[in-house]
Amino acid sequence: MRKTTSPAVDAIAKTGKWIVLGFFLIITFIPLLWLVISSFKTDLELINKPFLLPKVWQIQNYVNAFQLSDLHLLFLHSVIVSAAATALNIFVASMASYALSRFRFGLNNVILSIILAGVLIPIIALMVPYFQLISKLGIYDSLGALILTYAAINLPISVFLIHGFMGTVPKELEEAGLIDGCNFWQRYARIVFPLSRLGVVTAGTFVFLYAWNEFIYALLLTSSVRARTLQLGIRFFKSQFRAEYTSMYAALVVTMIPSIAVYILFHEKIIQGLSSGAVKG
Amino acid sequence: MTLHKHWKGIALFLLPALVLYGAFFIYPLGFVFSLSFTQWNGISPPVFRGVQNFIDLALDSTFRLSVRNNFIWALSLGFLQIFLAALVAMILSRRPAGWRVLRTVYFLPNVISQVAIAMLWMAIYNAEHGVLNQILTAVGLEQWTHNWLGEIETALPAIIAQQVLYIGYFMIIILAGTMAIPVSFYEAAEIDGANVWQQEIHITLPMERGILITSMTLAMAYGMRHFEATFLMTAGGPANSTSVMGLMLYNKMGFLDYGHANAVGAVLIILGGVVIVTIRSLLGQRQAAAEMRQ
Repeated sequence: MRKTTSPAVDAIAKTGKWIVLGFFLIITFIPLLWLVISSFKTDLELINKPFLLPKVWQIQNYVNAFQLSDLHLLFLHSVIVSAAATALNIFVASMASYALSRFRFGLNNVILSIILAGVLIPIIALMVPYFQLISKLGIYDSLGALILTYAAINLPISVFLIHGFMGTVPKELEEAGLIDGCNFWQRYARIVFPLSRLGVVTAGTFVFLYAWNEFIYALLLTSSVRARTLQLGIRFFKSQFRAEYTSMYAALVVTMIPSIAVYILFHEKIIQGLSSGAVKG
Repeated sequence: MTLHKHWKGIALFLLPALVLYGAFFIYPLGFVFSLSFTQWNGISPPVFRGVQNFIDLALDSTFRLSVRNNFIWALSLGFLQIFLAALVAMILSRRPAGWRVLRTVYFLPNVISQVAIAMLWMAIYNAEHGVLNQILTAVGLEQWTHNWLGEIETALPAIIAQQVLYIGYFMIIILAGTMAIPVSFYEAAEIDGANVWQQEIHITLPMERGILITSMTLAMAYGMRHFEATFLMTAGGPANSTSVMGLMLYNKMGFLDYGHANAVGAVLIILGGVVIVTIRSLLGQRQAAAEMRQ
């Protein structure tokens, strides 16, 4: 009676396992694949044969996408905002992490805990003060408003990720730098920061994806096309493209390409970053 | 390292982070709570009116509906999504063929924007030529077709389902924890004759307890914060049936009713905190801060 599994139970378990895995594969992947394929169809094909491949792959939809909307401008805005927000965030978070992880001054844990507790605050509840703050700074409806906001919102997660890595850089390396005459800034910039690049890259990936995909504050803190990002632009697609769904899908696919490219390049880092929190927790 | 020589550097390095954190976390919190007791249009000076804003909200049926919906969101994500994520993590942790690819694909929707995902699901749920209705019709279940986002009975479940099924984020967190359990534990159990189910229940679940509770807490907190998909897919309709607190806050702001907007914000923050504290004390884990860091 030791062996409790019979071949029949085994077979059921095995089938069940693949049903679950297959179901989630369909849910997570097939709709996206459908969107990409649909973006190459004619509108008639989309409505009449939604699940077949297009007869002729309509590259024209992508040309339309750029002509009917300000896609190129929105794309440029999103690139600027995401890159600048990531750079600012990493710069500020890594300096703070350096001070917090390499020196003991009594307030370390207090400051660290306060910064990390930021993840508990629902940012969405802060719409009114963010709007007021950005207006008072005189940067409402500018890319700068989004850069500053996205960099700040992601401080807790970046400090969490970078701080952990900086703590593991051997003290001897920094002391050797001190003997060689490196000052405070040089020890950060030339020794500790490069040696923590695993954490920095992971944090940077998270911030970039956040900034690229962010919608709420892009909606709240900008009003005109001069500061409009892609995610906000998608909202206007419906009126810009009217009934031309396939061109709209082409525009949607264009907005997803950078996220997917970053994911393909850095998915190991992303998974590592999420996992490090889990294992420590 | 000696401190007295470096205090200037330390202060200088901490300053930008503290300024940004103060401006975007601490000041806004104080702002929301203090102005939630006022009537204010953002232009003329705010007028103190005690707890009147909160009384107004309590009497507002749309607000009560929004709070209820937020709790439905929190429970759906906290229990249903975490259950599904844990189930898939359990299967993947045994490293079936292709598990790395599956792990990567399951997380893919999480890197795509909520806006794009919402547009996609609007195409799926569309009443006339939506993908879901076409599939149902094709397999002879025409009576099951709905105007998914337009009917009161189906709108909220439809938006929630679309989010619950994207398990990638929590699946990865739970999977990492499961894989950190030493293989020798399972080997020992196998020698003792424990089958896979017994192994999962007596080894994985107890060892995973902390991560599961953290994941549930986070998922429920996200449920209380939910905004984007609802804003984009139904804007709270039909008949406010899908409204959530975040959406009400946004709408109040649109009417320059900053007093009530901040009151909604204050309730959102407090209820979010209550949910976190409740779930953690119910499940008997109290190292909140340490585990919420992801």
